[in-house]
Amino acid sequence: MLELIRRRLLTALPTLAAVIILSFLLMRLAPGGPFDGERPLDPQTREALMTAYGLNEPLHVQVGTYIWRLLHGDFGPSLVYRDFTVTDLIARGLPVSLTLGALALILALLLGLLAGMVAAARPGSRTDRSLMLFATLLTALPSFVVGPLLVLLLGLWAGWLPVSGWGDGDVPHLVLPVVALALPTAGAIAKLARAGLAQVLAQDHVRMARARGLGWRRIVLVHALRPALVPVASYLGPASAGLLTGAVVIETVFALPGLGRYFVQGALNRDYPLVMGVVTLYAGLIILFNLLADLAYGWLDPRTRG
Amino acid sequence: MRAPFAILALILLAALIGPWLIDWRYDAIDWDAVRAAPLSPGHMLGTDSVGRDLLARTLIGTRVTLGVALAAALVSLVIGVGWGAIAGWKGGRTDEAMMRIVDALYALPFMFVVILLMVLFGRSILLVFLGIGAVEWLTMARVVRGQMLALRERPFVIAAEAAGTPPVAIVLRHMLPNIAGVAIAYLLLTIPQVVMIESFLSFLGLGVQEPMTSLGILLKDGVDDMDLAPHAMLLPAIVLVALLLCLTRIGERLRDRFVG
Repeated sequence: MLELIRRRLLTALPTLAAVIILSFLLMRLAPGGPFDGERPLDPQTREALMTAYGLNEPLHVQVGTYIWRLLHGDFGPSLVYRDFTVTDLIARGLPVSLTLGALALILALLLGLLAGMVAAARPGSRTDRSLMLFATLLTALPSFVVGPLLVLLLGLWAGWLPVSGWGDGDVPHLVLPVVALALPTAGAIAKLARAGLAQVLAQDHVRMARARGLGWRRIVLVHALRPALVPVASYLGPASAGLLTGAVVIETVFALPGLGRYFVQGALNRDYPLVMGVVTLYAGLIILFNLLADLAYGWLDPRTRG
Repeated sequence: MRAPFAILALILLAALIGPWLIDWRYDAIDWDAVRAAPLSPGHMLGTDSVGRDLLARTLIGTRVTLGVALAAALVSLVIGVGWGAIAGWKGGRTDEAMMRIVDALYALPFMFVVILLMVLFGRSILLVFLGIGAVEWLTMARVVRGQMLALRERPFVIAAEAAGTPPVAIVLRHMLPNIAGVAIAYLLLTIPQVVMIESFLSFLGLGVQEPMTSLGILLKDGVDDMDLAPHAMLLPAIVLVALLLCLTRIGERLRDRFVG
């Protein structure tokens, strides 16, 4: 297990470093700067600003300084939100985004696994086919379609749930964004769980268990579920990346004060340090989630521990 | 198989010739009919919050979305096939290094890289599809490389090598035609992905820019105006979902047939 972690980190850390350096260089290559406004600044002010933000140093020095500061948790000042550092903004947005993402992942797993189990119980039945059709539909519906549709139906027309905002992170405010974010992932998980279960249920040890007279529930939960979860586990990495991306849109649709909102605002305003900081953070998170998914994989299928 | 094809053909046809059959341009404003409901006189599907004909806008939006998607998918095809073919042909160390890079890139948040590119180089439509194409080629590269590795062992390739045919000619003339079917299947599967990315970007205001429109922009406009004119959101949503479903369906069928 430790060996696996070590090997993974060995590829993950250079990847992360490459992302940081590449995006930094791209940023400097780009035409236009943060101080190019409608009205040009007078040269002296501009020069002072450039010096203050360290933009006059040679490139490799800038990259070095940037990484050094990153290692100390300092993402630099935001160029647009004047009184905030990027670290402040991340500290404000990240809890919201993580709450949203974690709840959505849990919901997607619950719904997906449940649907997968029900469908796999009777392969080829009407329940199976309609559930899988529904799952396909869900995976094809991006969260920026599902979200507004849910708002329209349950928020505006039925009036059951608040349409947007975070409240205090209370349950009514959370329901719609979490559901909208979870549904596409739930569809994908349902398909994988069904395929995995159907395969495992056809194997000898399951037939054996059935011959011993065990009930279906016990067979699935004790004997079949764990090996059947392997394809689901290998999907967790991409799924978490998808949830992070989806959260950007969901936060915009529902006006939630999460990381994605700051990211989009930063992107629209060309707030370099903010965009870079968030991209770096997202890259780190995704690499972390992939690592966790690999570990889950090893736990589910002892043969892969190697 | 028939239904997805029929729906897709209908959408394609409508996007291609539809705009010419309508009296309104996508950016023309009808001051007398702001937020007209569907089926109102002169505007079959109503108008949006500034009085632009929704049918005309949806048709043009679909055209733009499909155009961008096709261009981006072709960019990804070129990069993916090139990368995969070189890795599969060279084999050994080169192959391993190239595939390691693909693995590493897989772990990255693509959407954010595309957004980063948009932020850096301005939000032009050219960049939208170049950027998307530049990040969506990984699966294609993997598939092509796998096929190339299998083909390398086949007698006709060995024969061509023995006959002294230059490697470039072997790859181009003998090997790539053999993987065309698989590549096309994956190209079709790339298109819905790309449609989704484009809509995502445009939805956030980072993709196609006004006054040009696309399904993502229409959706965004519709969401902003949802409480007063829900049809403005539903129309692009329906077209987008139909498009994604049909393309995925057709792509999956083709893939299963060729890879089987």
